[in-house]
Amino acid sequence: MGPVLLFLIIVVVAPLTLAIVDSLRDLSLTLLTKRGQYIGLDNFRDLIGADNKFYIAVAHTTIFVAVVVPIEFVLGLSMALWINREFAGRRLVLTILMIPTMIAPVVVGMIWRFLLMPSFGVLTIYLNRIGLFEEASVFSGSVSAFAALMMIDVWEWTPFIMLIMLAGLSAMPAAPVEAATIDGASRWQILRHIQLPLLRPLIIIALMLRAIDASKIFDTIHVLTGGGPGNATEVIATYAYRTNFLKWNLGYGAAICLVLAFASLIIAALFYKVVSGKPGDTVVP
Amino acid sequence: MRHRNSFLFAIPLVVLLAIALIPYIWIVLASFKERVDLITPFPKWIFEPTIVNYAEIFEKGFDTYLLNSIIIGFSSTALTVVVGTLAAYGFSRFKVPAGNHLFFFILATRLGPPVAYALPMYLIFKALGLVNTHFAVVLAHATFNLVLVVWMMRSFFNDVPREVEEAAYLDGCGHFRVFWRIALPMTYPGLITVSIFVLIFSWNELLFSLILTGGETRTLPVMIPSLVLHIGTLWGQVAAASIIQSIPVLVFIFFIQKNLVQGLTFGAVKG
Repeated sequence: MGPVLLFLIIVVVAPLTLAIVDSLRDLSLTLLTKRGQYIGLDNFRDLIGADNKFYIAVAHTTIFVAVVVPIEFVLGLSMALWINREFAGRRLVLTILMIPTMIAPVVVGMIWRFLLMPSFGVLTIYLNRIGLFEEASVFSGSVSAFAALMMIDVWEWTPFIMLIMLAGLSAMPAAPVEAATIDGASRWQILRHIQLPLLRPLIIIALMLRAIDASKIFDTIHVLTGGGPGNATEVIATYAYRTNFLKWNLGYGAAICLVLAFASLIIAALFYKVVSGKPGDTVVP
Repeated sequence: MRHRNSFLFAIPLVVLLAIALIPYIWIVLASFKERVDLITPFPKWIFEPTIVNYAEIFEKGFDTYLLNSIIIGFSSTALTVVVGTLAAYGFSRFKVPAGNHLFFFILATRLGPPVAYALPMYLIFKALGLVNTHFAVVLAHATFNLVLVVWMMRSFFNDVPREVEEAAYLDGCGHFRVFWRIALPMTYPGLITVSIFVLIFSWNELLFSLILTGGETRTLPVMIPSLVLHIGTLWGQVAAASIIQSIPVLVFIFFIQKNLVQGLTFGAVKG
């Protein structure tokens, strides 16, 4: 236990203590009037009470998670149901399908930026040919930029859901499905009344992990839109990044960090409860 | 009938493969294109390949960034695996005071948004004069990968039969010897899988690298978007750098595929 405790103190406890101290100060690296005066809880009051940009970022993040996660789930489950059988080259097929999930999110972002760049992106060209986005490029419109980011996230993460569902399906005992088939159950009835209930623990894990990760999205947005145009695609992570590392508004930024850390602690507690509810057998198929 | 079935199975599969692969293929092709073939209103699937983009990024010191990524990836993996494996063994075998809380605390470090930890970490490293060093990023990457190692290794250690260890204790071995000589070797396959995951996550990581490195210490994920310039993006070079960055990942996922699902879910799901 010694090493891990020491490690956690250095990399978690010390920084968080520092963040608490800074969040009580008026501190900025760029504004000379803000030199670290003690201002009590003003940063938190401004953030929670009056920061529209923060709430917009929270709203964007919520919408993003609420849209992409169900889509990824339905598509991923359908893919898993389709692929769940033995065939030649299965391993290679699965490797290729996992490419979007496993390559660096930065590379994902650059690929789609390249495909969708104004005028010369290959996808832009084909979209133009069918009469779409001829006037303005995909990332210059607020709605289209946000929709494109969602679509890219679906491309990137659907295979992840597929993989989890596939693990559940291939570990599932064959007997119940066979018995139901003999009794004349339809494909839909089998899915609805046999496979989905058996997959339940895995579905919960997949949805939770995906929702947690989607709420933290940073890399692809940073590379593709940087939160723009304006703040049309600003999410929590890009907002915090902008406040801290572009505006260097550190006292206020520290307050944001603490609010986020607190929120994530609640989410982590929920996740932990689900995963370790009944140790061992519930989670592992 | 058999033929018709496999045909009906294959078509959607091919479509799925195409959706997953074509965007990537397009950037592979781009990395071998001259500028005239890259920026054209008529997308070119067939062209005369060139390696000029690869030559150009290496002229620009790409090897420095590549080396940074390698050094940071392997150092943070080594650190995480050593610290995490010891902790995992402790959690698996001994009654740790407040063990459940500590276990949860380690999980929270990973589930929280990295950006919440980025600022405090930056301030600490700045105070210590460690910003723009490999060491700072190694520590940062080790922090968020620790949970993966602790969770996965604990489940592997739980699978090691106690009887084997008890026999060793009776023969007079101490705790460390039992861990080192008996428990650890029995988890080697798992240990290798975990290490590969940690390596990939560090290799792909952007935020902490972006904040904690600069100039000569930048990693590949930081360097690649920096080729987007105000005067226009050097797409050939972006493509070449992206390919070099992602090839090792593709090779690894082919080999650890059986454990992919386990690694991506913190060991909660077994493949």
